[in-house]
Amino acid sequence: MDVYEVFRQEREGEPMRHAGNVLAPDRELATHYAREFYSRRQESIRLWVVPRAAIEQVDDPDLLQPPLDRSFKKPTGYVIKDKLDAARVRGGLP
Amino acid sequence: MMSPEFEVRGARMKTGTPRTPNPEPRTALAELLLTLADDEFVLGFWDSEWTGIAPMLEEDVAFSSLAQDEIGHARVLYEILAELTHDTADHIAYGRQPEEYRHARLLDHSRTDWAFSIARRFLYDTADATRLTVLANSSYAPLAGIVGKIRREETYHRMHMEAWVKRLAEAGGEAHQRLSVALETLWPDALTIFTPFDGEEELLNAGILPEPLMAIQQRWLGEIASFLQPLGLPFPFREAGGGRYTPTFPITMDSGRIRHSDDFRWLWNEFTMVYRAEPGAEW
Repeated sequence: MDVYEVFRQEREGEPMRHAGNVLAPDRELATHYAREFYSRRQESIRLWVVPRAAIEQVDDPDLLQPPLDRSFKKPTGYVIKDKLDAARVRGGLP
Repeated sequence: MMSPEFEVRGARMKTGTPRTPNPEPRTALAELLLTLADDEFVLGFWDSEWTGIAPMLEEDVAFSSLAQDEIGHARVLYEILAELTHDTADHIAYGRQPEEYRHARLLDHSRTDWAFSIARRFLYDTADATRLTVLANSSYAPLAGIVGKIRREETYHRMHMEAWVKRLAEAGGEAHQRLSVALETLWPDALTIFTPFDGEEELLNAGILPEPLMAIQQRWLGEIASFLQPLGLPFPFREAGGGRYTPTFPITMDSGRIRHSDDFRWLWNEFTMVYRAEPGAEW
């Protein structure tokens, strides 16, 4: 038995979203189970059924959560609130 | 309502000339619709008996969903019939006595074990697929219309069952053996899906039934022979030349859709219980 991850699309143009997974003895039954679990009430227009083994998992904290400060990479990284407040005072704004 | 008078029963009685001129062979048509609907209805209830106890969770949900699909198909067929006979779908579905149902003898068995239910569904779904292919060309528009929709769902039922038959057969050992025993048991009763009935000739003439039932049966046998034989599963027929198959076992089609079993009477008691508790109640 293998785990298959199932992704579904609700409407044309929308992204495929992870719906959940099914356990199945082969790919064919996996597609049948995916259909019964994630679209038996006509809630999907497309499914992707992916063997979990085909998924590359990346969860190394050194790659994803490095220890050094990375705030400069964020669009909100620089805190400019104080500078803006000072500018308002200089410009005589409330 | 002690003994609901069911209009379609009239179909079985030889009456004189119709009271009014009738372009459609109504009683024969009603009989055909009733057989189609009862097959789906009874199979749906048998297979729903697996809910909660199927071999694995995924299959449990899937098999129950297929069972519901069959009851949904029965509903639309009962609705067409109700229109024709001035009845209601619920009354036809639940308001009859067990012996008034017209499902094939294949559906008179209880669910038994998993291999048995798979074998039965495989035989039913493949036979039904062939029957629906023919009925899609029916001259009776309401039937042809609904058959087109039913077929789209049944294609997946058939694929699902083929996957299971293959799995059990290729697993060998006990799985193959149980499946073989089930098929041996069910073959004679599977043929009753195509039991000829009074009025079939009229339906053929009117184009409502585009091919004789026995011709559809032959077509079905031809279609599944090449699936079952390589899997080493029972296909007890001889090719009689001209692509015709004759069974190697004695068959009786006469009571194919009447005189039901005690197993069915048990099921009937289950599925009519609520309806009988308050006949005529509006839900």
